[in-house]
Amino acid sequence: MSSRQKELLELLDKSGADLYALLTRLTLREDVAEELMQELFIKLNNSRGIGNVANWKAYARRSAINLAFDWRRSQKQTVLRLGQVAEPVSNDDSPLGKLIHSEEMRKTLDAVGKLKKASREVLIMRYLQQESYDNIAEQLGKTSHQVRALCSRAIRNLRDVLGSNEHKSSKKEIHNVSNK
Amino acid sequence: MSQINENQIHDRLKHLSQVEPTKESADRAIQKGRDALIADEGRRVGPAPPSLIGRLMKLAAAAVLMIGAGFIGAHLSTPEPLDVHELHAALESSIKSSLEPVIRQELLSEMDDRWQLALEASNAKIKDELSRQVRRDLTEFAAQTLAASGTRTEQRLMELIRLIEAARIQDRRRMAAAFDYIESRFGNGLVTLAARTDELLGAERAGPAPDMSAN
Repeated sequence: MSSRQKELLELLDKSGADLYALLTRLTLREDVAEELMQELFIKLNNSRGIGNVANWKAYARRSAINLAFDWRRSQKQTVLRLGQVAEPVSNDDSPLGKLIHSEEMRKTLDAVGKLKKASREVLIMRYLQQESYDNIAEQLGKTSHQVRALCSRAIRNLRDVLGSNEHKSSKKEIHNVSNK
Repeated sequence: MSQINENQIHDRLKHLSQVEPTKESADRAIQKGRDALIADEGRRVGPAPPSLIGRLMKLAAAAVLMIGAGFIGAHLSTPEPLDVHELHAALESSIKSSLEPVIRQELLSEMDDRWQLALEASNAKIKDELSRQVRRDLTEFAAQTLAASGTRTEQRLMELIRLIEAARIQDRRRMAAAFDYIESRFGNGLVTLAARTDELLGAERAGPAPDMSAN
């Protein structure tokens, strides 16, 4: 057994659950997360030219985020489009409410996928993984203030992306109605 | 331009952060990851060489060195010089016999690897294509069912309208028959009654009514 494999098995024991939870949150599907988990560790094992990785956990997290968003991009053409529902019309647990809720989650994740890599990673660590600013700063080699600024900027960018997407959707809807 | 505020974004991200996989699926995923890692490592350190050309070069160099050493040894130990053609043929057959099986084996293992990679890629593609096809079929089926149900409802409504219309026509016919019957049965009597009523009314208008008690 090579040293890299030992390191990866150790990583799997220590952070496997966290990585799997992250993949589930980003794909919203457990079966896909399982497949991506396998793919992630095969990629980590086969990746050449990375030499000795100082922080396998950070490297694996970054790779997992990239894999999940690659998968989302590949699915974009095939997912069932639900129309241009922008605002929640129901807060109950009805099937329609659940459908709209899951559509909102999907749109939010797609918008996160459009952010720059650095912003995306910080946003995911802070808001999806609920890590503290100090912890993120330590992992990324930045100060806590810098991380706060990055998070704030990421949220602003996310709002712009989501706003422009919904604006486009409502315009499209008006166009469709007028065509009918 | 933005129709969504930061609180809504925070709410959505909070919901996403609350997505938790089940313990069973997490354990399963970790186990799968471990199995994949071990299988992948086994394949990498197995029969497949890291570089085919490098290994072939080493083997060829070793063969040439051995043959050269043999040639020099033989040259020194024998008083007469060897025939060059004979030596060439011997070298050729020796290299061929030593390298051919190795090259064949290397090529076979290389081909195996390539086939495996190609099959893995096509497997993923087929899976993707299959899921796309199933989704497309389901959408088509839903649309067809909707259309068929719409047509059926329309047919039923048309049938209902036809039945109501037929019933109305039948009612009218019955009413007409009833009026005809009344007319044929009481027609003359009604005319007489109307004439008498008219006479009486005319007499009342003309003067006081005659004293009937005298009669």
